Amino acid sequence: MPNQYKITYSTENTYENWVNNAYWQFLIIPMENNTQHHIDVEFSNSLFAVNDFSINGYGFKTIRVHPKKKFKKINFEAQFSFIKDHIDPFNFPLDINDSLAYKEIKELTFKINFEAFLRSTVLTKLPNDLDSIFHFNLSNTIFENLQELNKWTFNNFQFKAGVTKVDSKLTDIISTKQGVCQDFTHLFCAIARQNGIPTRYVSGYLNQAHGLLGDSQMHAWAECYIPQIGWKGFDPTNNVLANTNHIKVCHGKDYNDCSPLRGIIYSHGKNKTTHTVKVHSQEQ
Amino acid sequence: MFIVFYHVPFTKTISMANIENQIFSSYQRNPDLYDEIYDKQGKVKEIYQKLFEIYGEHTISDYVNLNSKAKSSFFNQGITFQVYGDNDVQEKIFPFDLFPRIIDHKEWDIIERGSIQRSKALNLFLWDIYHDKKILKDKIVPLELITSSANYLDQMNGINPPGGIYNHISGIDIIKHNDGKYYVLEDNIRCPSGVSYVICNRTALKKALFGVFNHYQTHSVTNYAENLLDLLESVKPKGVDVPNVVVITPGMYNSAFYEHSYLAKTMGVELVEGRDLFVENDFVYMKTIKGPEKVDVIYRRIDDQFIDPLEFRPDSALGVPGLFAAYKKGNVTLANAPGTGVADDKAVYTYMPQIIKYYLDEEPILNNVHTYHCSRPDELKYVLEHIHELVIKPVDEAGGYGISIGNKLTKAEIEKVKVEIKENPRKYVAQPIMSLSVHPTYIDETESFEQRHVDLRTYTVMGKDKEFVLKGGLTRVALKRGNLIVNSSQGGGSKDTWVLKK
Repeated sequence: MPNQYKITYSTENTYENWVNNAYWQFLIIPMENNTQHHIDVEFSNSLFAVNDFSINGYGFKTIRVHPKKKFKKINFEAQFSFIKDHIDPFNFPLDINDSLAYKEIKELTFKINFEAFLRSTVLTKLPNDLDSIFHFNLSNTIFENLQELNKWTFNNFQFKAGVTKVDSKLTDIISTKQGVCQDFTHLFCAIARQNGIPTRYVSGYLNQAHGLLGDSQMHAWAECYIPQIGWKGFDPTNNVLANTNHIKVCHGKDYNDCSPLRGIIYSHGKNKTTHTVKVHSQEQ
Repeated sequence: MFIVFYHVPFTKTISMANIENQIFSSYQRNPDLYDEIYDKQGKVKEIYQKLFEIYGEHTISDYVNLNSKAKSSFFNQGITFQVYGDNDVQEKIFPFDLFPRIIDHKEWDIIERGSIQRSKALNLFLWDIYHDKKILKDKIVPLELITSSANYLDQMNGINPPGGIYNHISGIDIIKHNDGKYYVLEDNIRCPSGVSYVICNRTALKKALFGVFNHYQTHSVTNYAENLLDLLESVKPKGVDVPNVVVITPGMYNSAFYEHSYLAKTMGVELVEGRDLFVENDFVYMKTIKGPEKVDVIYRRIDDQFIDPLEFRPDSALGVPGLFAAYKKGNVTLANAPGTGVADDKAVYTYMPQIIKYYLDEEPILNNVHTYHCSRPDELKYVLEHIHELVIKPVDEAGGYGISIGNKLTKAEIEKVKVEIKENPRKYVAQPIMSLSVHPTYIDETESFEQRHVDLRTYTVMGKDKEFVLKGGLTRVALKRGNLIVNSSQGGGSKDTWVLKK
């Protein structure tokens, strides 16, 4: 059954001193793909500045705002409504030739085509002294191994807000064994890539109605490219495969490619920002 | 500022005292070095004979007099640069030598054709690695070389720059080895600088010595700006009739600010900083007193990571928020294109002969210096055993920083370099020590002419289906005796370079 979704994203920013110049770029619009469509976007800001709809360097929709007058407070509110088709994550062909799949991921052309999602980045770099903390079992399929990795990440790390930051390195996460969805996803990406599987970081919204763990703001999960199957979503924070509750905004190598809000504020003094995201769904 | 006219006519009668104190009387020629004005037998080469005669009629003190006037003219015009890494940053003039270098038309033809060939090959290489990546799939260039480069921009994948040009402006550094052949030392295709010195050197030399200059049929260099503008206009975005071109600078504290202002002025276009531009609806506008004015082509002298804080480094105060989105949409041209730095990496340099062959099916016109990759185990072994006869270079530093010259190192220093290479082999390449040709250069301390090593930076500009090579270039001089590094940031000077018509 397709779901009718309504998402409200709002943020309030207050500044101690006047801000004379500022730029924001929001990367929060659900992307159009074969399971997300009829997307309707409403966006407004309290200063009535122009909302500039654009596309970022990776091809995802953004909204840029550049107020033309000074301010101490600005609110943004976005509303998205769209249809999300029902996803059965296990709906893929079963007659997969494993040895061919394992052979394919070792080929040069494959490595070149998926290079960006095989590369290790600042946020997905595993510590050097650590040979490998999770090994693929080559007698199982790639899909099974990734499911196992999903479970392993979920079981060995504790979801806890406030212990890590958006730029936390894997070294810290591995030693404290705690983190939030970004950290679970970065770790999952790093290990999957180390095993030769192209893996991308996905930023989006989570429908928490079914008791799924996530941030009250934006969620993160991973997508892996499996030969003969294609891209598959894994959510290591919840040990589930990405499904109808996962609403994708964009993907990239890591959080830095996907940060929902980039701002450049020319001001000094203290500031306060609050975000709220509400996801409402209705089965049709 | 008005410049004092200091032409000193070379018409004095020569006294005996003058002859004893002739300009080249104490010039010591090391026969092991390739001297650009003397042949092996010690005879002055034909193209230099006239120049030699004229300069030879004069004394060192005449020359010193002229030289100091030329220097103060540079300072008064503000033709200065800054050296990074010094504790007290200060403006210096780029030391200029009044004895010019001459290149005859036959040799120039090789340099010019070679520079165009390399620039075209680099452009095709960039198109390929940001599109189909055929050269990687055909195993000509290893994938790791690209993926490990900090200058590879994922965001450039699939973008078609207007006119198909990435490296609009290429600065190719060429030397003459003691075998008399030209070799390329490196290709600079990010924001190569120095062209303003070429033009200022010529102006200074003509003012000081026009009586000399007129004895030769030399190509002009003052046509650079008009050609640059013409070619920049040829890569305008689609749908634009007469493009509005601007030069963007990081600002007056940048070491090359003089050049940025010079180029804007001589092209007759605006010089802007990031804060003078803004993006709306994916178009770029310049703030003017008459309101916003659309900008179509930006000659940018800001590094990739700083051009747009919303797309690249968020702490950049130099760039324009939203600029990359406008570029991606094809509404503005950036010259050079973002992401060109991946191709002027010193590790990519070593594949240039193969790159030229692959895309153009031609033999390289200019030689490459043989390079050992420390990332390859067998070559690493050779490098570690032969450091004393090699130059070790980090692959990603510009401006001559971090270079070790093997035969100048002490035993302890060699050991230290070995450790550094072993720790990070991908970071280093090694080349045989090239013997750069030498040119007579006036040295203040000894008040005489001495042999000094020189190189040549050529400037190639590519537009839509046309290209231009400045007939001249920047001859850089290593002013310290025996020094091989000629970069201005390493204490180099420069000479006017005359390219002769037939």
